[in-house]
Amino acid sequence: MQKKLIVAVVAAIVIIAVVIAGWQLTQVPSPEARAIKIGLVACYEKAEGQDMDRAAKLAVKEINDAGGVYVAEWHTNVQIELVIADTEDDTPGKAVDPVTRAVTEDQVDLLIGGYTSAGTLADQVVAIDERVPYIITGASSSLVTRRGPQANYGGLPEGDPLRIDDEEGMSYMFHYCTTTADYSKTVVNFFAEAMKPLLDSTYEFDSSRNLRLAILYRDDAFGKGVAADSKSLIESNDLPIDIVAERSYPATATSFQTDLTAIKAAKPDAVYVVDFIANTAEIIKEGQRDVGLNTVYIAVECCEDPAYYTLLGEYGDKQLLESKFAPYAGPPFYLESIETYVTNYQEEYDTIPGMMGADTYDAFYIAKDAIERAGTVDKAAVRAAIESCAIEQMLIITETGKIEFSTGTDYHEIAPVTFIEQLVWNEDVGECRSVIVYPATAEGVGELKQTDFVLPDGYEHGSP
Amino acid sequence: MITVSGLIEALLWGVADGCIYILLATGLNLIFGVMKLVNFAHGQLLMIGAYIAFTVTTALGLNAYLAILVAMGAVAVIGVGLERFTFRRVLGTDKLNEIFVSLGLIYVFENAAVLLWGNTTHQIASPFQGLLSLGQISIDYNRLLAILVVIVILIALFLLLKKTKIGLAMRATSQKSNASMLMGVNIEKVYILTFALGAALAGAAGALYGIIFNFNPTIGALPTIKAFAIIIIGGLGSIPGAVVGGLLYGIAENTAVYFLGGIWRDAIAFTLLIIVLVIRPTGIFGEKGE
Repeated sequence: MQKKLIVAVVAAIVIIAVVIAGWQLTQVPSPEARAIKIGLVACYEKAEGQDMDRAAKLAVKEINDAGGVYVAEWHTNVQIELVIADTEDDTPGKAVDPVTRAVTEDQVDLLIGGYTSAGTLADQVVAIDERVPYIITGASSSLVTRRGPQANYGGLPEGDPLRIDDEEGMSYMFHYCTTTADYSKTVVNFFAEAMKPLLDSTYEFDSSRNLRLAILYRDDAFGKGVAADSKSLIESNDLPIDIVAERSYPATATSFQTDLTAIKAAKPDAVYVVDFIANTAEIIKEGQRDVGLNTVYIAVECCEDPAYYTLLGEYGDKQLLESKFAPYAGPPFYLESIETYVTNYQEEYDTIPGMMGADTYDAFYIAKDAIERAGTVDKAAVRAAIESCAIEQMLIITETGKIEFSTGTDYHEIAPVTFIEQLVWNEDVGECRSVIVYPATAEGVGELKQTDFVLPDGYEHGSP
Repeated sequence: MITVSGLIEALLWGVADGCIYILLATGLNLIFGVMKLVNFAHGQLLMIGAYIAFTVTTALGLNAYLAILVAMGAVAVIGVGLERFTFRRVLGTDKLNEIFVSLGLIYVFENAAVLLWGNTTHQIASPFQGLLSLGQISIDYNRLLAILVVIVILIALFLLLKKTKIGLAMRATSQKSNASMLMGVNIEKVYILTFALGAALAGAAGALYGIIFNFNPTIGALPTIKAFAIIIIGGLGSIPGAVVGGLLYGIAENTAVYFLGGIWRDAIAFTLLIIVLVIRPTGIFGEKGE
């Protein structure tokens, strides 16, 4: 009996040892294991592109220092290797070649980035054709994921050169960024829900008086998209807002005083400025300094960058900025992850991060999660894994508190929460800093508003 | 909504913008008039002038308007170097050589500016902030000062060209360079001084530009195109032509924006150029043969 028991134990030990040895053999890192190549599509000529670069490098460093990305089919963790696709000023003519090189020569596993809508609509075609997953972290035009059959071609008419018929190719595109409709909605709602009541109570306006809004935008897809979305939202939601002036200018314009003079004559309560950092800052300065248009100016989120605060100087005091990431509104910040990111970024680069980099940073973690869940770098599998992403929100707040890509007609988009910041002059730092003034709360964050919106000093309302 | 006060303001903006164009176009015209050289990198000298003024105001705390003098001096020195080491080597050879040298210089200057100052946007801090208001019409002090500065510079240029020996030599060289040489004019010296003077004017334009507008390393291209349009409107080689052309151009741009909107700015200004050329192909003050 005892002998049988010993034999059984020995046999069991041998079997277990063989199983373990066999399992260990299968866990030996595959000789195919290599670094994961992620292409960063960024416009290095611009402050926003440099912010994306810094954010990407920070994310890669964090991920690599923590052991890298586990790829199940290789039975090992591998490092991320960053491949730079420098699109210079991100004009369509300059955006395509670097992305082509990253895809065909460097053979990246995945692309992250993109800045202007025009540049991204051009360079994404390479990724669509070559079936490379592309997490687009810029480009506010929804067409970057809606130009294919899945989203009914984004409403583009048949024969439109922007339409993409390649349904499978389009499925590799993911938009981790707000669209013009997202932030127009927040801006017009702010005017209707926060600014109009304040004007009515401060100046004893009749409640039937609509808020008088002027829109000044650059004459390109981005500016026109925001203007059109804003007007459409005002009309469809019957908001108490009148557009009293609408002016556009070429993207090459450098001075705006005459447009602002014409806007001043329309006597608006607020001016909605749609442009990138330098021009927006110039418009707000010229409006107050040169034209005497002492009103409320609101800028859009691409201006959430240290360069914007520096350029505005004191002219930014009490002015507004729509954003989805507020590195100047703390500490304490509305999310712990923001505090960690801002601290680490400042330690690494001695500057405050911008918004474009925030999307980019998150995208690297989305990519890491997707590759680990896919267990492979096979592009089709990674694409499917990104589509089923459900990780907790990071730097960008989402409506559900999770990062999820829609598969409906708002194809492969996230549902971001945007908010309104008011800039306040800070004598100690010699620049403005911001506080969130709208909305009061956000799902997944709780209380968001830090203080009430106030009218700027010397504010002059529009026609009664 | 069109108002009389708004229109007057638009005209004032036009004059102020035009003044900066005048400085740039006058420098370009001077160089072309005397040396028969077309410098496409002239706008980059404006950009360098803006950065030099910015640097001395931020690093040394110099008044922005005194920084104009520093920018003029520094860009004049750069101009001397350019004439001596690049343009002199190709002057008188194929025109294409001159054009390509100047086109190459655009990139050299832009990249040098990125290396030295980075590619972020800056503005020169002016000690004079605020608006001068006359009833419903208002204009900011910096634009008024820009107009005054340009008037002073143009008067000084006029006196230099009309009342000094070197001015006489420049005018003589611009009319008949060979005859001037035979009369004992040191043509090389005239060329150096002309290029330095043209560059200094671009430097002054750059400093004024930087006081009024944001600037970055790529801002030179558009002013160069406008300066060429202005000297074609005014007449190649003509300083009064550059003055009138600059004012017309600035006013056309701003009234177009006021009446029709910003997207018409360049279209209307270049329409003016076409109209002038159709009516008077030599430009307003131009002479046949230029």
